[in-house]
Amino acid sequence: MKQTGPYDIDVVRAEWIGKKSEVKQGRYPVEYDAIRRHCHMVEDANPLYLDPELAAGTRFGAVIAPPVMADYFAGDGIWPKTDEGPQLMLLIPTPGDRMINLNQQMEFFRPVRVGDRLSRQMVIVDIYQKPIRLDPKAVWTAVETRITNQDGELVATIRNTLLIHREPEEVAADSS
Amino acid sequence: MSAPVITQRYWDDVKEGEEIPGFEMFLSETKMVEQVSGSQDFYPVHHDREFARGGGHPDVFFNTGFTRAALGRLLSDYAGTQGWVRKLEYSMRKMNRPGVTLKARGKVTRRYVDDDGNGLVDLDIWLENEKEGVTTPGSATVMLPRR
Repeated sequence: MKQTGPYDIDVVRAEWIGKKSEVKQGRYPVEYDAIRRHCHMVEDANPLYLDPELAAGTRFGAVIAPPVMADYFAGDGIWPKTDEGPQLMLLIPTPGDRMINLNQQMEFFRPVRVGDRLSRQMVIVDIYQKPIRLDPKAVWTAVETRITNQDGELVATIRNTLLIHREPEEVAADSS
Repeated sequence: MSAPVITQRYWDDVKEGEEIPGFEMFLSETKMVEQVSGSQDFYPVHHDREFARGGGHPDVFFNTGFTRAALGRLLSDYAGTQGWVRKLEYSMRKMNRPGVTLKARGKVTRRYVDDDGNGLVDLDIWLENEKEGVTTPGSATVMLPRR
């Protein structure tokens, strides 16, 4: 969340590192058509994701979602808006509000089938300041999301490193 | 639907140092739209040129959901229907923008068996394009069936 005025990274770190969101179930069960759209964008014709008949004959027994979609199905989607408020990582005070996702580490423990219900919980694991070409006061945050299924089993963990920077005009105004 | 043929690889046949089959895809303006549809990521830096340039970027660029979907496809094609992608890590170092051909590539760095007897393969993986070179380096671990 954009903060104007003096910025103290040590205060932000002390207050925010270790904060967790509540465990929240995704809006809908895992569904075929979202998988189809995902596959369409990268021309992924894997029958495990797209062909119920073939998938039924595999060890999975049914269509599975591409593992990288775990957080998609554990989320609510962008619309309609929920009353949950912004995601935990968006509440971290930062001098700017332009974001770039820089690094992601994912681990996949179990298959996700159509009809499963996934839930997510986020924890903030790191916040630090490190200059980039666009902004000498850029802030980097690392957030881990744990994704579980309807039986409480861990499906995937996802660790994101996000860079948050100011717009060029804000950087210029700050240095003048 | 007619099922595409996916070759099943076996851990026993993997050699350290070998490249894995990749794929190429032209990043058209339509692909940019498919990216928004497939990822449901509506942050304007990925589809609105004026917004992207206002943030200091030379153009719009493909988003995280698209990037990892491409790497996910690379790995699940390699794993086949009997394998499993265990780990995926990647860094967004440079951008993939419309008008280039995206190439997804990978190379085997290690072949080993874990304590449970699973055949595992570690890989270096990456996305590249002709304008910016390697844009998205990463690594992965894939479990393959043993003969």
